[in-house]
Amino acid sequence: MYRKQVRRRRAVLLLLVVASLTLLSLYFRESEAGPMHRAQRGVATVLGPFAEAADRALKPARDFVNWFDDTFEARGENEQLREQVAELRDELSRAQTQAGQADELGRLASLTGGGLVPPGFEAVTARVVGRSPTVWYSTITIDKGTSAGVRVDAPAIAADGLAGRVSAVTKGTAQVKLITDPTSSVTGRVLPEGSVGVVEPDVGDPQNLFLNYVQRGEEIAEGQNVVTAGFAGDALDSLFPPGIPVGRITDSSLEQQQAYQRVELRAYADLRDMQFVQVLVEK
Amino acid sequence: MILTPQIWVRLVALVLLTALLQVTFFARVELFGTSPDGAVLVVMTLGLLGGSVSGAVGGFSIGLLVDCLLMQTLGAFAASQMAVGYVAGRYRESVGRPTRGAVPLLGGVFTLLGLLAFAAIQVGTGIDADVSPLVVRDALIKSLLGALLALPVFQLVRLVLRPALVEDRPGGRRPVAPRAADSRG
Repeated sequence: MYRKQVRRRRAVLLLLVVASLTLLSLYFRESEAGPMHRAQRGVATVLGPFAEAADRALKPARDFVNWFDDTFEARGENEQLREQVAELRDELSRAQTQAGQADELGRLASLTGGGLVPPGFEAVTARVVGRSPTVWYSTITIDKGTSAGVRVDAPAIAADGLAGRVSAVTKGTAQVKLITDPTSSVTGRVLPEGSVGVVEPDVGDPQNLFLNYVQRGEEIAEGQNVVTAGFAGDALDSLFPPGIPVGRITDSSLEQQQAYQRVELRAYADLRDMQFVQVLVEK
Repeated sequence: MILTPQIWVRLVALVLLTALLQVTFFARVELFGTSPDGAVLVVMTLGLLGGSVSGAVGGFSIGLLVDCLLMQTLGAFAASQMAVGYVAGRYRESVGRPTRGAVPLLGGVFTLLGLLAFAAIQVGTGIDADVSPLVVRDALIKSLLGALLALPVFQLVRLVLRPALVEDRPGGRRPVAPRAADSRG
Protein backbone atom coordinates (compact mmCIF):
# COMPACT_ATOMS: atom_id res chain seq x y z
CA MET A 1 0.00 0.00 0.00
CA TYR A 2 2.78 2.39 1.04
CA ARG A 3 4.88 1.47 -2.01
CA LYS A 4 1.90 2.17 -4.19
CA GLN A 5 1.53 5.55 -2.59
CA VAL A 6 5.22 6.29 -3.11
CA ARG A 7 5.00 5.21 -6.76
CA ARG A 8 1.94 7.41 -7.25
CA ARG A 9 3.64 10.32 -5.58
CA ARG A 10 6.75 9.94 -7.71
CA ALA A 11 4.71 9.62 -10.86
CA VAL A 12 2.74 12.78 -10.10
CA LEU A 13 5.90 14.67 -9.25
CA LEU A 14 7.60 13.45 -12.44
CA LEU A 15 4.58 14.42 -14.47
CA LEU A 16 4.52 17.91 -12.98
CA VAL A 17 8.25 18.42 -13.45
CA VAL A 18 8.00 17.28 -17.06
CA ALA A 19 4.96 19.54 -17.55
CA SER A 20 6.83 22.52 -16.11
CA LEU A 21 9.91 21.92 -18.23
CA THR A 22 7.79 21.39 -21.32
CA LEU A 23 5.86 24.57 -20.68
CA LEU A 24 9.05 26.55 -20.10
CA SER A 25 10.87 25.23 -23.14
CA LEU A 26 7.86 25.51 -25.47
CA TYR A 27 7.08 28.98 -24.21
CA PHE A 28 10.59 30.17 -24.94
CA ARG A 29 10.83 28.40 -28.27
CA GLU A 30 7.59 29.56 -29.84
CA SER A 31 6.64 33.00 -31.12
CA GLU A 32 4.04 35.32 -29.63
CA ALA A 33 1.44 33.75 -31.89
CA GLY A 34 2.26 30.21 -30.74
CA PRO A 35 -0.25 27.93 -29.02
CA MET A 36 1.21 28.38 -25.53
CA HIS A 37 1.00 32.14 -25.75
CA ARG A 38 -2.51 31.89 -27.19
CA ALA A 39 -3.57 29.58 -24.38
CA GLN A 40 -2.07 31.94 -21.82
CA ARG A 41 -3.92 34.88 -23.34
CA GLY A 42 -7.10 32.79 -23.45
CA VAL A 43 -6.90 31.98 -19.73
CA ALA A 44 -6.07 35.59 -18.94
CA THR A 45 -9.06 36.73 -21.00
CA VAL A 46 -11.41 34.32 -19.27
CA LEU A 47 -10.16 35.24 -15.81
CA GLY A 48 -9.79 38.93 -16.67
CA PRO A 49 -13.29 40.01 -15.57
CA PHE A 50 -12.91 38.08 -12.31
CA ALA A 51 -9.55 39.71 -11.73
CA GLU A 52 -11.05 43.10 -12.46
CA ALA A 53 -13.96 42.50 -10.08
CA ALA A 54 -11.56 41.26 -7.39
CA ASP A 55 -9.34 44.23 -8.03
CA ARG A 56 -12.22 46.66 -7.44
CA ALA A 57 -13.59 44.77 -4.47
CA LEU A 58 -10.19 44.58 -2.80
CA LYS A 59 -9.20 48.19 -3.38
CA PRO A 60 -10.32 49.38 0.09
CA ALA A 61 -8.42 46.53 1.72
CA ARG A 62 -5.33 47.30 -0.36
CA ASP A 63 -5.58 50.99 0.46
CA PHE A 64 -5.87 50.13 4.14
CA VAL A 65 -2.73 47.99 4.13
CA ASN A 66 -0.86 50.51 1.99
CA TRP A 67 -1.91 53.29 4.36
CA PHE A 68 -0.08 51.46 7.14
CA ASP A 69 3.02 51.17 5.02
CA ASP A 70 2.82 54.80 3.90
CA THR A 71 2.42 55.95 7.49
CA PHE A 72 5.34 53.84 8.61
CA GLU A 73 7.46 55.05 5.69
CA ALA A 74 6.46 58.67 6.28
CA ARG A 75 7.49 58.33 9.89
CA GLY A 76 10.82 56.90 8.80
CA GLU A 77 11.23 59.69 6.26
CA ASN A 78 10.34 62.24 8.89
CA GLU A 79 13.05 60.89 11.18
CA GLN A 80 15.50 60.85 8.26
CA LEU A 81 14.66 64.44 7.38
CA ARG A 82 15.03 65.50 11.00
CA GLU A 83 18.48 63.92 11.07
CA GLN A 84 19.35 65.66 7.82
CA VAL A 85 18.15 69.00 9.18
CA ALA A 86 20.24 68.48 12.30
CA GLU A 87 23.30 67.61 10.19
CA LEU A 88 22.77 70.63 7.95
CA ARG A 89 22.28 72.85 10.97
CA ASP A 90 25.59 71.58 12.36
CA GLU A 91 27.29 72.19 9.04
CA LEU A 92 25.80 75.66 8.80
CA SER A 93 26.84 76.57 12.31
CA ARG A 94 30.35 75.24 11.64
CA ALA A 95 30.55 77.27 8.44
CA GLN A 96 29.18 80.36 10.15
CA THR A 97 31.62 79.93 13.03
CA GLN A 98 34.52 79.53 10.61
CA ALA A 99 33.37 82.56 8.62
CA GLY A 100 33.05 84.57 11.83
CA GLN A 101 36.48 83.46 12.99
CA ALA A 102 38.03 84.30 9.63
CA ASP A 103 36.39 87.71 9.72
CA GLU A 104 37.55 88.28 13.29
CA LEU A 105 41.11 87.22 12.44
CA GLY A 106 41.08 89.50 9.40
CA ARG A 107 39.99 92.49 11.43
CA LEU A 108 42.52 91.59 14.13
CA ALA A 109 45.34 91.40 11.58
CA SER A 110 44.36 94.69 9.96
CA LEU A 111 44.15 96.36 13.37
CA THR A 112 47.54 95.24 14.61
CA GLY A 113 49.09 95.49 11.16
CA GLY A 114 48.24 99.17 10.89
CA GLY A 115 51.17 100.48 12.90
CA LEU A 116 49.77 99.71 16.34
CA VAL A 117 52.52 97.34 17.28
CA PRO A 118 55.38 99.35 18.77
CA PRO A 119 58.95 98.78 17.63
CA GLY A 120 60.56 95.79 19.32
CA PHE A 121 57.18 94.04 19.78
CA GLU A 122 55.21 91.55 17.75
CA ALA A 123 51.62 90.39 17.88
CA VAL A 124 50.96 86.75 18.87
CA THR A 125 47.54 85.48 17.91
CA ALA A 126 45.86 83.36 20.57
CA ARG A 127 42.56 81.54 20.70
CA VAL A 128 40.19 82.21 23.59
CA VAL A 129 39.82 78.86 25.37
CA GLY A 130 38.06 79.94 28.54
CA ARG A 131 35.91 82.67 29.96
CA SER A 132 35.12 83.71 33.47
CA PRO A 133 31.67 82.39 34.22
CA THR A 134 30.55 85.51 36.06
CA VAL A 135 28.39 88.20 34.56
CA TRP A 136 31.20 90.71 34.86
CA TYR A 137 33.19 89.30 31.94
CA SER A 138 36.33 90.08 33.84
CA THR A 139 38.80 87.50 32.54
CA ILE A 140 39.43 85.16 29.66
CA THR A 141 41.91 82.36 29.18
CA ILE A 142 43.95 82.11 25.99
CA ASP A 143 45.95 79.22 24.54
CA LYS A 144 49.32 80.97 24.43
CA GLY A 145 51.70 81.32 27.35
CA THR A 146 55.33 81.90 28.17
CA SER A 147 56.44 79.45 25.47
CA ALA A 148 55.01 81.90 22.91
CA GLY A 149 56.63 84.86 24.64
CA VAL A 150 53.55 86.02 26.52
CA ARG A 151 54.36 87.88 29.71
CA VAL A 152 52.30 89.31 32.55
CA ASP A 153 50.93 92.82 31.76
CA ALA A 154 51.26 92.29 28.01
CA PRO A 155 48.39 94.09 26.20
CA ALA A 156 45.74 91.94 24.56
CA ILE A 157 43.89 93.26 21.53
CA ALA A 158 40.63 91.90 20.14
CA ALA A 159 39.38 92.24 16.56
CA ASP A 160 37.87 95.70 17.04
CA GLY A 161 39.84 97.17 19.88
CA LEU A 162 41.55 96.81 23.20
CA ALA A 163 40.60 93.71 25.19
CA GLY A 164 42.75 93.90 28.32
CA ARG A 165 46.09 92.82 29.64
CA VAL A 166 47.66 89.54 30.67
CA SER A 167 47.27 89.05 34.42
CA ALA A 168 48.68 85.55 34.86
CA VAL A 169 50.62 83.22 32.63
CA THR A 170 51.63 79.57 32.41
CA LYS A 171 53.77 77.83 29.85
CA GLY A 172 50.88 77.17 27.47
CA THR A 173 48.06 79.45 28.60
CA ALA A 174 47.52 82.93 29.92
CA GLN A 175 44.78 84.77 31.75
CA VAL A 176 43.75 88.12 30.34
CA LYS A 177 42.10 90.65 32.60
CA LEU A 178 39.59 92.45 30.45
CA ILE A 179 39.00 96.18 30.45
CA THR A 180 35.60 95.40 31.95
CA ASP A 181 37.17 93.93 35.06
CA PRO A 182 36.28 96.09 38.11
CA THR A 183 39.95 96.65 38.88
CA SER A 184 40.92 97.61 35.34
CA SER A 185 41.88 101.14 34.33
CA VAL A 186 43.47 102.35 31.10
CA THR A 187 44.59 105.81 30.18
CA GLY A 188 42.56 106.92 27.18
CA ARG A 189 42.73 109.80 24.78
CA VAL A 190 39.75 111.32 22.97
CA LEU A 191 40.31 111.88 19.29
CA PRO A 192 40.88 114.25 17.68
CA GLU A 193 41.05 116.90 20.46
CA GLY A 194 43.35 114.84 22.66
CA SER A 195 41.56 115.12 26.00
CA VAL A 196 42.91 112.48 28.36
CA GLY A 197 41.05 110.47 30.97
CA VAL A 198 41.01 107.06 32.61
CA VAL A 199 38.89 104.34 31.05
CA GLU A 200 37.15 102.32 33.74
CA PRO A 201 34.44 99.69 33.53
CA ASP A 202 30.76 100.13 34.15
CA VAL A 203 30.63 97.06 36.37
CA GLY A 204 27.79 94.81 35.30
CA ASP A 205 27.60 96.07 31.72
CA PRO A 206 30.33 94.41 29.70
CA GLN A 207 30.06 96.74 26.73
CA ASN A 208 29.81 100.01 28.62
CA LEU A 209 32.84 101.93 29.86
CA PHE A 210 33.48 105.30 31.51
CA LEU A 211 36.15 107.80 30.68
CA ASN A 212 36.75 109.43 34.02
CA TYR A 213 38.86 112.34 35.13
CA VAL A 214 38.38 114.42 31.97
CA GLN A 215 38.84 118.10 32.77
CA ARG A 216 35.67 120.28 32.90
CA GLY A 217 36.74 122.60 30.16
CA GLU A 218 37.38 119.89 27.54
CA GLU A 219 34.82 119.67 24.77
CA ILE A 220 33.61 116.11 24.38
CA ALA A 221 30.98 115.09 21.86
CA GLU A 222 29.06 111.92 21.23
CA GLY A 223 30.58 109.73 18.51
CA GLN A 224 34.21 110.64 19.20
CA ASN A 225 36.71 107.83 19.41
CA VAL A 226 38.79 106.97 22.43
CA VAL A 227 42.15 105.26 22.02
CA THR A 228 44.86 104.26 24.44
CA ALA A 229 47.04 107.23 25.44
CA GLY A 230 50.19 105.14 25.90
CA PHE A 231 52.25 107.58 27.91
CA ALA A 232 55.85 107.04 28.91
CA GLY A 233 57.48 108.62 31.90
CA ASP A 234 60.63 108.39 33.92
CA ALA A 235 59.11 106.39 36.74
CA LEU A 236 56.09 104.82 35.14
CA ASP A 237 55.26 103.72 31.63
CA SER A 238 51.79 102.84 30.37
CA LEU A 239 51.26 99.15 29.79
CA PHE A 240 49.50 99.84 26.51
CA PRO A 241 51.03 101.30 23.38
CA PRO A 242 49.30 104.43 22.10
CA GLY A 243 46.54 104.41 19.53
CA ILE A 244 44.70 101.14 20.27
CA PRO A 245 40.96 101.78 19.77
CA VAL A 246 39.05 101.45 23.03
CA GLY A 247 35.54 102.69 22.35
CA ARG A 248 33.19 105.34 21.00
CA ILE A 249 31.67 108.06 23.17
CA THR A 250 27.94 107.63 23.67
CA ASP A 251 27.23 110.29 26.29
CA SER A 252 28.98 113.07 28.15
CA SER A 253 27.53 114.82 31.12
CA LEU A 254 28.80 117.72 33.14
CA GLU A 255 27.42 117.61 36.60
CA GLN A 256 27.35 120.64 38.88
CA GLN A 257 29.97 120.95 41.59
CA GLN A 258 32.21 118.38 39.92
CA ALA A 259 35.70 119.07 38.79
CA TYR A 260 35.72 116.36 36.10
CA GLN A 261 33.47 115.26 33.32
CA ARG A 262 32.02 111.76 33.30
CA VAL A 263 31.99 110.39 29.78
CA GLU A 264 30.29 107.16 28.74
CA LEU A 265 31.66 105.08 25.93
CA ARG A 266 30.90 101.78 24.26
CA ALA A 267 33.77 99.35 23.88
CA TYR A 268 34.74 98.50 20.30
CA ALA A 269 35.78 94.98 21.15
CA ASP A 270 32.98 92.47 21.56
CA LEU A 271 34.28 91.23 24.88
CA ARG A 272 31.45 88.73 25.33
CA ASP A 273 31.97 86.89 22.07
CA MET A 274 35.56 87.17 20.92
CA GLN A 275 37.28 84.04 19.66
CA PHE A 276 40.80 85.35 19.16
CA VAL A 277 43.04 88.02 20.63
CA GLN A 278 46.50 89.20 19.79
CA VAL A 279 48.98 89.67 22.57
CA LEU A 280 51.85 92.10 22.10
CA VAL A 281 55.06 90.36 23.07
CA GLU A 282 58.66 91.46 22.99
CA LYS A 283 60.64 90.19 20.01
CA MET B 1 -7.28 14.09 2.24
CA ILE B 2 -10.61 12.59 1.17
CA LEU B 3 -11.51 13.83 -2.28
CA THR B 4 -15.22 14.02 -2.94
CA PRO B 5 -16.86 16.07 -5.74
CA GLN B 6 -17.70 18.70 -3.16
CA ILE B 7 -14.07 18.89 -2.06
CA TRP B 8 -12.95 19.10 -5.69
CA VAL B 9 -15.19 22.13 -6.10
CA ARG B 10 -13.73 23.67 -2.99
CA LEU B 11 -10.19 22.94 -4.14
CA VAL B 12 -10.79 24.47 -7.56
CA ALA B 13 -12.38 27.53 -5.95
CA LEU B 14 -9.46 27.79 -3.55
CA VAL B 15 -6.93 27.60 -6.38
CA LEU B 16 -8.79 30.20 -8.43
CA LEU B 17 -9.30 32.53 -5.49
CA THR B 18 -5.66 32.22 -4.40
CA ALA B 19 -4.41 33.09 -7.88
CA LEU B 20 -6.76 36.06 -8.11
CA LEU B 21 -5.86 37.28 -4.63
CA GLN B 22 -2.17 36.89 -5.36
CA VAL B 23 -2.47 39.07 -8.46
CA THR B 24 -5.02 41.64 -7.26
CA PHE B 25 -4.22 41.93 -3.56
CA PHE B 26 -0.98 40.44 -2.24
CA ALA B 27 1.18 41.58 -5.16
CA ARG B 28 -0.24 45.09 -4.92
CA VAL B 29 0.03 45.87 -1.25
CA GLU B 30 3.25 47.04 0.26
CA LEU B 31 4.48 46.39 3.76
CA PHE B 32 7.94 47.50 4.86
CA GLY B 33 8.91 48.04 1.25
CA THR B 34 7.86 44.66 -0.13
CA SER B 35 4.75 42.64 -0.95
CA PRO B 36 3.69 39.57 1.01
CA ASP B 37 3.38 36.31 -0.90
CA GLY B 38 -0.05 34.83 -0.14
CA ALA B 39 0.03 32.11 -2.80
CA VAL B 40 3.05 30.35 -1.34
CA LEU B 41 1.33 30.17 2.06
CA VAL B 42 -1.78 28.57 0.57
CA VAL B 43 0.40 26.10 -1.33
CA MET B 44 2.35 25.33 1.82
CA THR B 45 -0.90 24.74 3.70
CA LEU B 46 -2.17 22.41 0.97
CA GLY B 47 1.03 20.41 1.31
CA LEU B 48 0.93 20.37 5.10
CA LEU B 49 -2.72 19.29 5.19
CA GLY B 50 -2.91 17.01 2.17
CA GLY B 51 0.58 15.66 1.60
CA SER B 52 3.12 15.95 -1.19
CA VAL B 53 0.84 15.11 -4.10
CA SER B 54 -1.85 17.60 -3.03
CA GLY B 55 0.81 20.19 -2.37
CA ALA B 56 2.59 19.70 -5.68
CA VAL B 57 -0.59 19.64 -7.77
CA GLY B 58 -2.10 22.60 -5.88
CA GLY B 59 1.14 24.56 -6.19
CA PHE B 60 1.47 23.81 -9.89
CA SER B 61 -2.15 24.84 -10.55
CA ILE B 62 -1.98 28.07 -8.59
CA GLY B 63 1.39 28.93 -10.10
CA LEU B 64 0.18 28.24 -13.64
CA LEU B 65 -2.84 30.48 -13.15
CA VAL B 66 -0.67 33.27 -11.80
CA ASP B 67 1.66 32.84 -14.79
CA CYS B 68 -1.34 33.22 -17.09
CA LEU B 69 -2.85 36.19 -15.25
CA LEU B 70 0.44 38.07 -15.15
CA MET B 71 1.34 37.03 -18.71
CA GLN B 72 4.77 35.95 -17.52
CA THR B 73 6.90 32.98 -18.54
CA LEU B 74 4.52 30.07 -18.50
CA GLY B 75 5.60 27.40 -16.03
CA ALA B 76 8.12 29.46 -14.05
CA PHE B 77 5.96 30.36 -11.07
CA ALA B 78 4.16 27.03 -11.47
CA ALA B 79 7.40 25.08 -11.05
CA SER B 80 8.50 27.09 -8.02
CA GLN B 81 5.12 26.66 -6.30
CA MET B 82 5.10 22.99 -7.16
CA ALA B 83 8.44 22.63 -5.39
CA VAL B 84 7.10 24.40 -2.30
CA GLY B 85 3.95 22.28 -2.22
CA TYR B 86 5.89 19.07 -2.67
CA VAL B 87 8.43 19.85 0.06
CA ALA B 88 5.66 20.96 2.45
CA GLY B 89 3.85 17.71 1.72
CA ARG B 90 6.97 15.68 2.35
CA TYR B 91 7.36 17.50 5.67
CA ARG B 92 3.84 16.45 6.58
CA GLU B 93 4.49 12.85 5.50
CA SER B 94 7.73 12.50 7.39
CA VAL B 95 7.32 14.72 10.47
CA GLY B 96 3.54 14.94 10.82
CA ARG B 97 1.11 17.80 10.89
CA PRO B 98 2.83 20.87 12.29
CA THR B 99 1.86 22.38 15.62
CA ARG B 100 0.49 25.91 15.81
CA GLY B 101 3.86 27.17 16.94
CA ALA B 102 5.66 25.58 13.99
CA VAL B 103 3.36 27.03 11.32
CA PRO B 104 4.79 30.60 11.37
CA LEU B 105 8.31 29.22 11.22
CA LEU B 106 7.37 27.02 8.28
CA GLY B 107 5.65 30.02 6.67
CA GLY B 108 8.90 31.95 6.75
CA VAL B 109 10.98 29.02 5.54
CA PHE B 110 8.65 28.06 2.68
CA THR B 111 8.33 31.69 1.56
CA LEU B 112 12.10 31.84 1.32
CA LEU B 113 12.15 28.48 -0.46
CA GLY B 114 9.57 29.73 -2.96
CA LEU B 115 11.61 32.85 -3.64
CA LEU B 116 14.80 30.87 -4.10
CA ALA B 117 13.11 28.37 -6.40
CA PHE B 118 11.57 31.14 -8.50
CA ALA B 119 14.90 33.00 -8.63
CA ALA B 120 16.70 29.81 -9.68
CA ILE B 121 14.21 29.24 -12.49
CA GLN B 122 14.50 32.85 -13.62
CA VAL B 123 18.28 32.62 -13.66
CA GLY B 124 18.01 29.29 -15.48
CA THR B 125 15.80 30.85 -18.13
CA GLY B 126 18.26 33.58 -18.88
CA ILE B 127 17.43 36.49 -16.58
CA ASP B 128 20.78 38.02 -15.79
CA ALA B 129 20.39 39.69 -12.42
CA ASP B 130 22.76 40.35 -9.56
CA VAL B 131 21.97 39.38 -6.01
CA SER B 132 22.04 42.87 -4.58
CA PRO B 133 21.67 43.65 -0.84
CA LEU B 134 18.26 45.05 -1.72
CA VAL B 135 17.12 41.69 -3.09
CA VAL B 136 18.37 39.89 0.03
CA ARG B 137 16.62 42.43 2.26
CA ASP B 138 13.44 42.04 0.21
CA ALA B 139 13.59 38.27 0.52
CA LEU B 140 14.10 38.41 4.27
CA ILE B 141 11.20 40.83 4.79
CA LYS B 142 9.00 38.66 2.55
CA SER B 143 9.89 35.67 4.71
CA LEU B 144 9.07 37.57 7.89
CA LEU B 145 5.73 38.63 6.43
CA GLY B 146 5.18 35.01 5.41
CA ALA B 147 5.82 33.95 8.99
CA LEU B 148 3.32 36.53 10.25
CA LEU B 149 0.59 35.53 7.79
CA ALA B 150 1.20 31.78 7.89
CA LEU B 151 -1.08 30.92 10.81
CA PRO B 152 -4.17 32.87 9.64
CA VAL B 153 -3.79 31.47 6.11
CA PHE B 154 -3.27 27.97 7.48
CA GLN B 155 -6.40 28.17 9.63
CA LEU B 156 -8.48 29.64 6.80
CA VAL B 157 -7.48 26.96 4.29
CA ARG B 158 -7.99 24.30 6.93
CA LEU B 159 -11.49 25.63 7.53
CA VAL B 160 -12.28 25.44 3.81
CA LEU B 161 -10.95 21.90 3.48
CA ARG B 162 -12.14 20.60 6.85
CA PRO B 163 -14.59 18.03 5.43
CA ALA B 164 -11.71 16.49 3.48
CA LEU B 165 -9.29 16.24 6.40
CA VAL B 166 -9.24 12.88 8.16
CA GLU B 167 -7.87 14.20 11.43
CA ASP B 168 -10.50 16.97 11.64
CA ARG B 169 -13.44 14.58 11.34
CA PRO B 170 -15.28 13.49 14.48
CA GLY B 171 -13.44 10.43 15.75
CA GLY B 172 -10.58 11.11 13.36
CA ARG B 173 -7.10 10.48 14.56
CA ARG B 174 -3.97 12.45 14.17
CA PRO B 175 -1.98 11.24 11.21
CA VAL B 176 1.09 9.26 11.79
CA ALA B 177 4.23 9.05 9.77
CA PRO B 178 3.84 6.61 6.86
CA ARG B 179 6.67 4.41 8.03
CA ALA B 180 5.05 3.91 11.42
CA ALA B 181 1.73 3.09 9.75
CA ASP B 182 3.51 0.67 7.47
CA SER B 183 5.18 -1.15 10.35
CA ARG B 184 1.82 -1.68 12.00
CA GLY B 185 0.86 -3.75 9.07
